[in-house]
Amino acid sequence: MKAKEIIGRGEEVHGRLYVKVEKQEVRELIKTLKENKFQHFVMLSCIDWIDDGEFELIYHLWSYEYREHVMISTRIKREGEEMESLHDLFPQIETYEREIKEMYGVNFIGNERLTPFFLEGWPHMPPMRKDFDSKKFIKDVFESIPPVEDEDEGI
Amino acid sequence: MKYEEWSKISRIASKKSLWILHFCTGCGAIEMPPVMTSRFDMERFGMAPMATPRQADVLLITGYLTVKTLKRVIQVYEQMQDPKYVVAFGSCPINGGMYWDSYNTINQLDKYLPVDLYLAGCMPRPEGIINAMMELMEMIEKGEARGWEKYRKNYEKYKKNQEMAFKFGKVEE
Repeated sequence: MKAKEIIGRGEEVHGRLYVKVEKQEVRELIKTLKENKFQHFVMLSCIDWIDDGEFELIYHLWSYEYREHVMISTRIKREGEEMESLHDLFPQIETYEREIKEMYGVNFIGNERLTPFFLEGWPHMPPMRKDFDSKKFIKDVFESIPPVEDEDEGI
Repeated sequence: MKYEEWSKISRIASKKSLWILHFCTGCGAIEMPPVMTSRFDMERFGMAPMATPRQADVLLITGYLTVKTLKRVIQVYEQMQDPKYVVAFGSCPINGGMYWDSYNTINQLDKYLPVDLYLAGCMPRPEGIINAMMELMEMIEKGEARGWEKYRKNYEKYKKNQEMAFKFGKVEE
């Protein structure tokens, strides 16, 4: 794979290059790849590994020249650890970081726009975390709301 | 003539000209183009799509509603003129459908807005939609579709429920 030649590490998984790195190295790797024709930042995703107490952040990059997909993975602690914002490399990273901040509660240092995104007036913990009890939540919130009864019309 | 007789005549007239505002936030929107266009052609029953809520008679809610969308649905519903009817389309407005345990999907629409007719299915076929609309026409003629009166009468209760959903249960009494 061309990407492996450029960065000299990583393993091939299902036709993609999967690179596990420390969080300090992510910026340098993305920068190198960007300079070597990996010009499309596909997305930034997050996985909650609750048993390890870690979040995995995955930066996906694609090259139109080599038609290759690179995943740069880094792990940070679930509590008390933050990630550096990389929105100066690709501007769209700002929006992905905003989403991950809302859905997982990961803080990105340097991103000025971590305001509420999809959820309006959300008062609970970030809903995509594995310890968010969705069934208990709907029981407490939506199922506890009584139906409107009317003496003439019924429910 | 008495008022009751006049209102009966007006109901017979209005049942054959239902202007539908479809609130297409869910996947049910996919079933609407075949119903509107030449294959199923809902206009032969006197139904037509309407672009604005102020001139529409029926609010068709196609698919699941999140709390964020519910706010917009209520704004749309309150802009409509009486008499107005709500049709809950698909499984999701009935009990949440396949999104019943989602953190953001309101499960039962009728806790927040009065629903005149439910149309079950995931998704309902165009024939089902037409059948439901014929049913609604009959209800209008008989004077059974009175959801808008219920909303006026129980406005405080509905507002309280809506507020509870908007705040995700964190309402101070």
